[in-house]
Amino acid sequence: MIEFLLSGPDRLLPYLAVSAVLFSLGALACAIRRNAVGYLMGIELMLNAANLNFIAYGRFRTSEAAAQGQVATLFVIALAAAEAAVALGLVFAVFRTFRDVDLEKVRTLHGD
Amino acid sequence: MDSISLASLCLGAPLVAAVVGAVFWRKTSHVDLVSIAAQAIGAIAALAISLGVAAPATRTIPWLSFPGAKITFSLGIQLDALSVPMLLVVQFLALGVLVFSRWYLHNDRFYGRFFASFSFFVFAMTAVVVAPGLLQAFIGWELVGLGSYLLIGYWHDKAPASEDPEYQAGKPVHATGVNESKLNPAMAQLKAFVVNRVGDFGFVSGLAMLAWLVSSLPGFTGGDPLAWKTLFVAVGPVMASKAAFLGFTGAGLLTFAGLLVFLGAMGKSAQFPFHVWLPEAMQGPTTASAIIHAATMVAAGVFLTARIYPLLTPDALVAIQWVGAITAFVAATIACVQWDYKAVLAYSTISQLGYMMLGLGAGAAAGGYGAGVSHLYTHAIFKCMLFLGAAAVIHALHGVQDLGRMGGLARKMPFTAIATGIGTLAILGVPGFSAFWSKDAILAAAQTKVYLAQSVGDGVWAARIPWLLGMATAALTAFYMSRQWLVAFLGKPRDKHLWDHAHDPDKASIAVLLVLAALSLQFVWTGSVNPFSSGSWLDGVLRSPMAVKALPHELSHHIHLHTMGWTFALLCLGFGAAFWLYVSNPRKGGATATWLRRDPPTNLVWQFLANLWFVDKALDLVFAEGIARRGGRLVAKADLGSGLSMDTIVDNAVSSARWVGRFANLFQTGRSLAYAGWTLLALFGALALLLL
Repeated sequence: MIEFLLSGPDRLLPYLAVSAVLFSLGALACAIRRNAVGYLMGIELMLNAANLNFIAYGRFRTSEAAAQGQVATLFVIALAAAEAAVALGLVFAVFRTFRDVDLEKVRTLHGD
Repeated sequence: MDSISLASLCLGAPLVAAVVGAVFWRKTSHVDLVSIAAQAIGAIAALAISLGVAAPATRTIPWLSFPGAKITFSLGIQLDALSVPMLLVVQFLALGVLVFSRWYLHNDRFYGRFFASFSFFVFAMTAVVVAPGLLQAFIGWELVGLGSYLLIGYWHDKAPASEDPEYQAGKPVHATGVNESKLNPAMAQLKAFVVNRVGDFGFVSGLAMLAWLVSSLPGFTGGDPLAWKTLFVAVGPVMASKAAFLGFTGAGLLTFAGLLVFLGAMGKSAQFPFHVWLPEAMQGPTTASAIIHAATMVAAGVFLTARIYPLLTPDALVAIQWVGAITAFVAATIACVQWDYKAVLAYSTISQLGYMMLGLGAGAAAGGYGAGVSHLYTHAIFKCMLFLGAAAVIHALHGVQDLGRMGGLARKMPFTAIATGIGTLAILGVPGFSAFWSKDAILAAAQTKVYLAQSVGDGVWAARIPWLLGMATAALTAFYMSRQWLVAFLGKPRDKHLWDHAHDPDKASIAVLLVLAALSLQFVWTGSVNPFSSGSWLDGVLRSPMAVKALPHELSHHIHLHTMGWTFALLCLGFGAAFWLYVSNPRKGGATATWLRRDPPTNLVWQFLANLWFVDKALDLVFAEGIARRGGRLVAKADLGSGLSMDTIVDNAVSSARWVGRFANLFQTGRSLAYAGWTLLALFGALALLLL
């Protein structure tokens, strides 16, 4: 995998690097942010990192692969929009229940 | 339509009604009409078959195939001299009982469910009746068991009798031998099922043994080894074959297999000592008892015995005759001391089933086959009617079943009294009523067997004792059945308040009772108004190839006259005793007959009978308490080697499951961020595994 990336077609590596950084930032946000909105932004970052990968791989391979990568990206964008709607709904619900969006306070999942 | 399609209607219509009823009974109470309509279709189809049947018809479809062993089990429909009358009886009685149940169970909590289970029950019994082989008979047999389970436990949430105010208010003063704390519909259905399991264990072993014996014969060329025609043709070769099992060979092996199947019949047909489930089965609605006691559940055992008749060796028949005779006698003696209206009928059913087995056991040469089978049909009709009459009486008295609180009901419910009276005369075997011919035929067959035994000089007493027990039972039957009718319907009302509110059932139900009563008259069956002329007495049955007459005509005529004379004298004796004790001499005190009346029973005979010969208690002690509970504990503690026992294995399984649970519980903190963290960790862990 690593060898393929290094010896692969020109200019793919920078895209992948950006994507990896974006993904790591998103994951980091999910790991350390206690604010629910920040957490959601982390998820969006990870999704867009994946999108960037799709486009980049498609761009530097055959035209068919380009089309596939772009279609996949469109799907992900649509999915992300839906996810954002649901997740924001959840955030509202959390805020109504706990009067806060601090996820550290959401700790009643164990039942009693 | 040919007869096979008509028979499929008898089979299919109740099944459709059962499925529809099972789905919709909570939503609408009109599933009763679905069941009745389906049953009407079935009854009409059965009537058409029995009017039009000329030649036996069989159609089978292959079902389960074992190419290696060349065995293909098949299902299907077989219509012949035995199954067609039975089909008619089942379908017709089911229709009558369904119509009656509309009145009896009106506004009940589970109203629609009764009709759904009932239709299922009829479907299952039909499957047994038309079975073309032993395997389908067994499948239908088990479904019949399930149907009876559903009907007996119809009021499944009822409290035990000891805590049920309704039962306590309606029970007889001297209800002995009944363990009230264990008496409720749920326990009764369980008991019926478990007792039948014991018998069915025998059935399925016998079935497997027969399949093995027949399919390993050199002449077996493939097909269904359990189809009746294959099975019966194989009897001779099996006797001659060298197959051995547990030291039995040849005829002994066939006796063994036949008796194993008969064990199943003993369970279903409530033969001693498996009879214990039948009286408790009355925990179900009385109309369910009407069909269980007449045409379906208990009839299945006798029917099966008649079905496998060619398989039964003379030795097996001796055992069957003894079982029947003991059952008939024991149940008749118990019925004499019952004060519960339905209990008298329940024990009379057991006793009559014993009669049928007694007849079948006498052997085809003695005319026992035709006698036993015809008694199955006649008994089904009048016992169904007697139970429907019991339903009418119990309904009219608001659940009171105590004979001691009845009396004088004939004036309040004349139609019920007339119908039940005819049924009583029929079961007594009075000339002119249906059982006169069938029951006398059984006793004559038993006596013929004695003569046959004398002519070969072997097994005379083995044949004579069942015959004597049968004769004694005839007197006892006359006593307890006329006692029941006389106490309930004649005399002065013993409970004025109950009597005031008593009434006949509605018109449709009265019609059912009267039609069944009419069918309990002898000329319907013999085709002749002269009671002493056999006329066309169940032509198909008696003229079947199995009804061979082995004795010279003169002697057999003498035996029949002799039996008629004696049974008539015995029934007069029984009736006279009942009349004298309970009608002409009811309030004169004195020591003459206190032990049969309502006075506190103290003497040993009464105690013995009222405790049901201690059979229930002994079985409970040995099996329920002894083997199941104590034995279960012993088995649990037994060492399986290296210090393991059932108990420790179970304990270890439990504690390991508990530790797994505790470990998994560590992660269930309830903190949403912790969950997110675990998810991320898993994600990156998976990624790392993939890349490295």
